[in-house]
Amino acid sequence: MRTASVFRTRRFQPQIVSQVFLILLTAGFLAPVAWALVSAFKPANDIIADPLGFNPGTFTLDNYTQMFTDVPILSGFFNTAIVLFSKGLITLFFAPLAGYAFAKYEFRFKNFFFGAVLLTLMLPTIVLIIPLLLEMKELGWVNTYQALVLPGSVDAFAIFWMRQVISAVPDELLDAARVDGCGEFGIFWRIVLPVIRPGIAGLAVLTVMNIYNDFVWPVVITTGDRMQTLQVVLSTLAQNISGNKIGADYAHVTGELLAASSVALIPLLIIFVLLQKHFINGILAGSVKG
Amino acid sequence: MTVTTALKASSTAPRSSQRGPRWSLLRRKSAPYLFIFPFVAIFAAFSIYPLVFTFRLSLTNWRGSGTADWVGWGNYTYLLSNPDFWASLANSGVLWLLIIPAQLGVGVLAAVLLNSTRIRARGFYRTAFIVPFVTPLVAIAQIWIVLFDQRYGVINGLLNLVGLPDVGWLTTSEWSKPTLALLFLWKTTGFVVIIVISGLQSIDTTVYEAAELDGASPFRQLWSITVPLIRRTIMFIVVLQTLAVFQMFAEPYVVTKGGPYGSTTTAGLYLYNHITVADLGTGAANSFLLVIIVMALSLGFVRLLRAKD
Repeated sequence: MRTASVFRTRRFQPQIVSQVFLILLTAGFLAPVAWALVSAFKPANDIIADPLGFNPGTFTLDNYTQMFTDVPILSGFFNTAIVLFSKGLITLFFAPLAGYAFAKYEFRFKNFFFGAVLLTLMLPTIVLIIPLLLEMKELGWVNTYQALVLPGSVDAFAIFWMRQVISAVPDELLDAARVDGCGEFGIFWRIVLPVIRPGIAGLAVLTVMNIYNDFVWPVVITTGDRMQTLQVVLSTLAQNISGNKIGADYAHVTGELLAASSVALIPLLIIFVLLQKHFINGILAGSVKG
Repeated sequence: MTVTTALKASSTAPRSSQRGPRWSLLRRKSAPYLFIFPFVAIFAAFSIYPLVFTFRLSLTNWRGSGTADWVGWGNYTYLLSNPDFWASLANSGVLWLLIIPAQLGVGVLAAVLLNSTRIRARGFYRTAFIVPFVTPLVAIAQIWIVLFDQRYGVINGLLNLVGLPDVGWLTTSEWSKPTLALLFLWKTTGFVVIIVISGLQSIDTTVYEAAELDGASPFRQLWSITVPLIRRTIMFIVVLQTLAVFQMFAEPYVVTKGGPYGSTTTAGLYLYNHITVADLGTGAANSFLLVIIVMALSLGFVRLLRAKD
């Protein structure tokens, strides 16, 4: 092999090439976020007049104060927090419970129900939007928290994943608990949950992220400012750029937009940095092996 | 550790439930039904019922209010003969071609490098790759609007620095799809990298020692050993990302509104547009056509994988 000999000469340094490749790639991944976080502190006119520069002397919080007065971002945060807690708790309790039943019990219609899980896994969310919207209208739930929380609160992916994780728990452990007189739910609560803690942590981070970032369903089910989640508030702000509903000039709205985006980014970035080990291990535990 | 503590906890548990074998057998038989009941109830109410409803709706011309007339397969034949429907599929198809090969290439290469112990600061890179994945899509889509602005954006500013003219990233139909594809790649490639790393970790490393002895180059090893061994992981990613690309909605909704000239009206956005004009029957039919297409594609990729096994 000719190529092999090329790589074996001392002059060629694959490590350096790899290192440079990774540095460039990660720089590209971090740059847009870094740019937005920094630019939000620039005077609005500078953001478009000199997008690349930053003069520390002109540091300003104007974009933030403007954004807080023009956009209902605090109510957006509040709504997102409520949805996050209620929907998160439902998912984190019922998905492992169902996953436990699928992993460790034999029962009639098991395959039928699990087939339903797999089917919904492949179903585009957008398919259910029309009938769900009509169903919510029928129930009188448009613009309510229950409409934001209940649909999708037991996610098919979460059940599938929990079944995988719980399958790895040895049956002997469960039988030993049974001999000791532990009830069926007690086994789940006292044995299974503690043992699969890493998987639960991974699921928790993924769930928090999905709910926080969810956009399609909230944008359809909320009308008006009062019930909008953070992501919907943000997208409404973007539409003001083209529609100019605030009556502001382009630079002004751009500054607000970057401030609002920064505010939306920061909570998740903090959660992620604090929990990154669980998060990455969580995805590693949940994905298919080669 | 957790296992032993859990066992201890169980042995101190109250023994009130020991009421004879028949009773416990009954409980054991009914337990799984109780455990999946909440999931079944929520699924039935918010997934299965709407799905059945969608199918019924797709056979009518209902507009959200008033009476619904039965039109049979009319909505389906209307869509299948409508150039806009095919254009939306074509837009998604082009995005798929722009995204998937690039994502697999970069994702596999980065994962292989990050899995190698010779690379320094691996933890840092892994974190950096995942940052886009955890940033809210709407926030980053907004940032994209500002970065790729034709007159004031950073990207054109950089081009001007090296003497290149402005590009209408979001305002011309030639560039709108690549710009949108770049957003999708930026957002999701980190996740792909992590999944590929998990696939790589299941490979028995002794095969590389043998290849090394035979004098196989790193690229040769990558192509002839690593890629075939993580074929399942790669197929998993292709299926997952195909679903995501054909459902792509929030990105064009926020960044381009489907324009310019419909060039970024993806299959997902086209479907949504029926809802905004209350053309619910056609929208429902569109939903089912999209499901059929996406499932056919997914099954096709799975078969492709099986055929090689």
